[in-house]
Amino acid sequence: MPLNDLDPILHSQLRLAVVSLLISVKEAEFTHIRGQTNATAGNLSVQLQKLKDAGYIEIEKSFKDNYPQTTCRITKAGIQAFDTYVQNLQQYIKPK
Amino acid sequence: MQEQNLNPEESLQIIQGMIRRAQNNLSENGFLFIFWGWLVFLSASAFYYLTTNGFDNAWYAWYTMPLGGIFTMIWSIRQKKKEKVRSYIDDYMMFVWLAFGFCMLITLGMGFKLQLNCYPILIMLYATATFITGGIIRFVPLIVCGALSYAISVCAFFVTFETQILLLALSVLVSYIIPGHWMQVKFKKQLAHAA
Repeated sequence: MPLNDLDPILHSQLRLAVVSLLISVKEAEFTHIRGQTNATAGNLSVQLQKLKDAGYIEIEKSFKDNYPQTTCRITKAGIQAFDTYVQNLQQYIKPK
Repeated sequence: MQEQNLNPEESLQIIQGMIRRAQNNLSENGFLFIFWGWLVFLSASAFYYLTTNGFDNAWYAWYTMPLGGIFTMIWSIRQKKKEKVRSYIDDYMMFVWLAFGFCMLITLGMGFKLQLNCYPILIMLYATATFITGGIIRFVPLIVCGALSYAISVCAFFVTFETQILLLALSVLVSYIIPGHWMQVKFKKQLAHAA
């Protein structure tokens, strides 16, 4: 069954996991997201950048106790895209 | 987590799994409940002892409250620096407890204007903060203990001032100390499970 209607940005295991996590919280640090998704730091950085380029998340870089800190939060566009993705997904899931 | 083609069921599983993970995390470790519970319990007990034994300045026992407030502020700022994720629940909780603090200050500061003995109202405020917190974090013992404290508050309207002090101590035992320790046990289990 083709899944053409599904947003290709969200239709990826790690990016979908990140957005699903961020939709439940106000903001989360990079290390927390990495822990929750079991992703490698390199892969997660790449996928976060893709989500940021799509306008789905905001990434804020700062310093905490002299250590760099990356905080992510979902944007309104991200919430809208996630909502649309779930609605489209429901069309493929037939009730048993 | 690897990149791969997802089918709709897998997509839904990822979404459900991540949302459940975020929601099941009890961010409240019960420390402030235990700290304030014991502080108020001991202060109320001391106040009761001093009052019933004829000490003129028995209310000195409540000097622990501003000290507790300063400690709480310092502890909260340190905790905020450590937190790696901030949920909407954390924000709701902050406003609930700020509102509780304002209500306490206004009741304690202005109660005399109504010539009101405010202890039953203080117990009601303790019950309210616990009850709402239990609802927000969906921790049933807090809801039940909050409700019990409401019952204690009703009783407090019908007894003498000295007995009201004892009921205040009972209220914090029921709505702070017991659920606080309960929460701490659940939090430790959660940490052990996550490790």
